Amino acid sequence: MTFQALYTLTDLRVLLRETAPRHMLDENQSMEARRLLENLERQVASLKQEILK
Amino acid sequence: MRCGSGIEARQVNELFINIDPIQAGGRLTADAMKSVIAYGDGYSVCDNCRKPNRLDYISKPPIAEFHRDLAAWLNMDSVRTVPGARRGFQAVANTYVKKGDPVLLTSLSHYTEFLAIEETRGIAREIPQDSGHTITADAAAAKIEEVKREFGRVPVLAFIDHVDYQYGNMHDVKAIAKVAHNYDIPVLYNGAYTVGILPVDGKDLGVDFVVGSGHKSMAAPAPSGVLAATKERSAEVFRTTAIEGDVTKRKFGIKEPEMMGCTLMGATLVGMMASFPRVKERVKHFARELENNDIVLKALLSVSGTKILSEYPRNHTLTRIDTIASFDKVAESHKKRGFYFSGALEEKGIVGIIPGATKVWKFNTYGITTKQAVYLAGAFTDIARENGLPLVP
Repeated sequence: MTFQALYTLTDLRVLLRETAPRHMLDENQSMEARRLLENLERQVASLKQEILK
Repeated sequence: MRCGSGIEARQVNELFINIDPIQAGGRLTADAMKSVIAYGDGYSVCDNCRKPNRLDYISKPPIAEFHRDLAAWLNMDSVRTVPGARRGFQAVANTYVKKGDPVLLTSLSHYTEFLAIEETRGIAREIPQDSGHTITADAAAAKIEEVKREFGRVPVLAFIDHVDYQYGNMHDVKAIAKVAHNYDIPVLYNGAYTVGILPVDGKDLGVDFVVGSGHKSMAAPAPSGVLAATKERSAEVFRTTAIEGDVTKRKFGIKEPEMMGCTLMGATLVGMMASFPRVKERVKHFARELENNDIVLKALLSVSGTKILSEYPRNHTLTRIDTIASFDKVAESHKKRGFYFSGALEEKGIVGIIPGATKVWKFNTYGITTKQAVYLAGAFTDIARENGLPLVP
């Protein structure tokens, strides 16, 4: 799960690179960003459960 | 934000459009970034190293398979990964050049090719460039004849850059290699700006060696590169060790002296491997990169007085430009002198041009999106307008 969260952040990082410098996301990019951020939230929640149990 | 004591986290490519001439093709893919996270530990790729204990035999991660694929992709018979193109030059020079031997390179060759020759105590002889800053087969033939007259023998090796670092011009390696082979001179193709950027076929080019740069053109971490060879030359440059200790009688298996045993390990190698599928795909779309480059060039040329010093239309995205009669005119009276230009670009979210440069400078648009190319083009014309430079329709 650690890697999954890091890799999701990496995908977000690449999205930032593709949209630099203004980061004006088009519709597809916004959808992708939303999907990645939702995945990240789930992955962090799982990490909390696993590590802090 | 820091990632270590005194080490700022680098966000250049996240915050800016980066047109640094040497950085464009080495930006990592997402998969390479992920592999670097997982394989950052020193000997990370060696977990499953088994006899015969050599890097290019490791099957997990699939390093052996990668080497086979890489050789096939370059249409060469064998390949090794090396810590940068320069280490490829070095291995080949060490194999063929002895003290006093003449070696052919060009007046646009990279300095590391000279250093590789110097290390062997060879003597550098340059093929001159023509008025368009290209190296021709005729000039190569003339230089070989000149070397013959000077040394009483032909050069022992030729280094030819397909695309040079100064102008980003494309040189006719195939024709030059044919000339060199007429004199039995082995040819090293320097693909630091091509391998991983556009299709490269070593056999079609007729060269003995193909050298590429991972960190310059294959979306890989530094230092990384490739050295590929034909079957005949592989036996020479990738020869195996024969040395033996006199006390211990130790021998060292199939390690290769020119590679100093195992070469590229850990994050550098796995980063290159992880990017490889994307790199193989992206070379097929180089025309799109040239189109993006042209969007920017047309904007720059619309600023009256601007000249392109590289060949035009472009065959590569690395371009040398002369703005002495345009942006440099502003620098003459601007309170920030030449720094107004790089400063204005940075304010618009663009970096990669040498700060203060307004006369002759280089940039590389490789890897940017069309949207970013349009933005970049607009930024150049906006800076011209803001500083009273005339635009031509």
